[in-house]
Amino acid sequence: MSKIVVLGAGISGHVAASHLRRKLSKAHEVVVVSPNSNYQWIPSNIWVGIGRIKSEKILFPLASLYKKKHIDFKQAKAVSFHPEGDAQEQKPYVLAEYVAGETKGQQEKVTYDYLINATGPKLNFEATEGLNPGTNKAYSVCTYTHADHAWEGLNALIQEMKKGKKAKILIGTGHAKATCQGAAFEYILNVEQELRRHNVRDLAEITWISNEYQLGDFGMDGMLLSYGSMTMKSSEMVEMVFEDRDIKWILGAGVNKIEDGIAHYENLEGETKTETFDFAMLIPSFSGHGFKAFDKNNQDITDKLFKGFMIVDADYTPKPYEEWTVQDWPETYQNPTYKNIFAPGIAFAPPHTISKPRKSKNGTEIFPSPPRTGMPSGITAKLVADNIIDSIKNNKESLKHKGSMGNMGAACIASAGFGLTQGSGISITTFPIIPDYVKYPKTHGRKLGKTFGEIGLAGHWLKLALHYAFIYKAKMKPFWWLIPE
Amino acid sequence: MTQRISKYQRFKMMNPILQFFKFIYLSLKVLIIVAGGHGGTRKAH
Repeated sequence: MSKIVVLGAGISGHVAASHLRRKLSKAHEVVVVSPNSNYQWIPSNIWVGIGRIKSEKILFPLASLYKKKHIDFKQAKAVSFHPEGDAQEQKPYVLAEYVAGETKGQQEKVTYDYLINATGPKLNFEATEGLNPGTNKAYSVCTYTHADHAWEGLNALIQEMKKGKKAKILIGTGHAKATCQGAAFEYILNVEQELRRHNVRDLAEITWISNEYQLGDFGMDGMLLSYGSMTMKSSEMVEMVFEDRDIKWILGAGVNKIEDGIAHYENLEGETKTETFDFAMLIPSFSGHGFKAFDKNNQDITDKLFKGFMIVDADYTPKPYEEWTVQDWPETYQNPTYKNIFAPGIAFAPPHTISKPRKSKNGTEIFPSPPRTGMPSGITAKLVADNIIDSIKNNKESLKHKGSMGNMGAACIASAGFGLTQGSGISITTFPIIPDYVKYPKTHGRKLGKTFGEIGLAGHWLKLALHYAFIYKAKMKPFWWLIPE
Repeated sequence: MTQRISKYQRFKMMNPILQFFKFIYLSLKVLIIVAGGHGGTRKAH
């Protein structure tokens, strides 16, 4: 009998736990440790942030589902990692602290045979002075509560605009090394459409601010993609959309401070500038959770497990951008020191960024960190679960399931406006996620045809269909496992 | 030079009948690309 502990119940943790439970007999224990009581379908936060979907529609409570499916659930947060146990506990364990209920504040040693760290990122708002969701007129859509607040702020502004107020709206990244430009891109287009729906668009000046060197970088070094019968750069595609929607843009901007309605930033020229706003949605930087790890003698071994995020089978050798290869990226998400620990999704430490690193004339690094969206998070979680299942069933380590982001496709169905007949979406797929300049030297490291873009109403329908399909899947309803990650 | 979206392109983008077929096409294409498999990038050690 084996005990598998999954830390986190986001897309990655929930996918891993559900596949483990489906494929392993009840003799084996699956335990999920998460401080969140609800599962949330994060991609739909965009629509919560424009008031078109209630946050209750994108979440559901985990405890009752896990009870029904025989998954042990502990609403607790991980405190420290003890992969060798300690003087009292022979088995490896994670020290967890309960965050709700009668046991709130109590700590427990949660032992395991296999550990899946799917804790995702810490939303590091503190890294940007004054960037705190809901204050200084700046908001976030990173969680459903943030998105609810964002809608309250936006709605209040819309009501003022209906009385004739002119407004400046700033949307993009709130740190020099933030990622998730895609979410901000979706939000700016949705906000723009909502302003038109409320007949106040002509009173708004909307500006995109981003640490990207070019539009359409998305933290993926941009893309060359098929668009209809044309081949187009993602920068050209996004520029076309922004021009069409009358959205201005500021690029190469490392936002470093937010005051009431003012964003301070440094650009790649080394200039320090400000941009005023009446409403802003700025994505914070992501960081690891700052976990500590200890060996059986209670010596600090954090550097064997963490490099900000968790160390896995990537090549972390520092090298210049020109020498980066897809082989640097992990395949099995296994920690090289403790082979029974895995970190799929956003929890693993990437070997380097995907976008070309750039510094301002003052030496400030201003470029996007690598994004890892829901799709690769789900795929990597499933392959980790499959390797653990095989290892348990064969009674020896099995790592036959592999999934490097350098050999994996991803789809980004970016909402560009809500509405069954008036909605729009920008559907972009990319293969591979990490550009392979050896395999595809003439097409910016990606395979044309499999890397394509489409704009239109169908994109909105597709995003809506995915919303319902993935919530159905997450609720583990009949045949949920037929829906791919 | 920035390419703006023409009226004809916009008509095609927002026409529900055309977009219905586009929806089927996109769903299949996304499924093929994403569920079409993934793997490692390194030679066997």
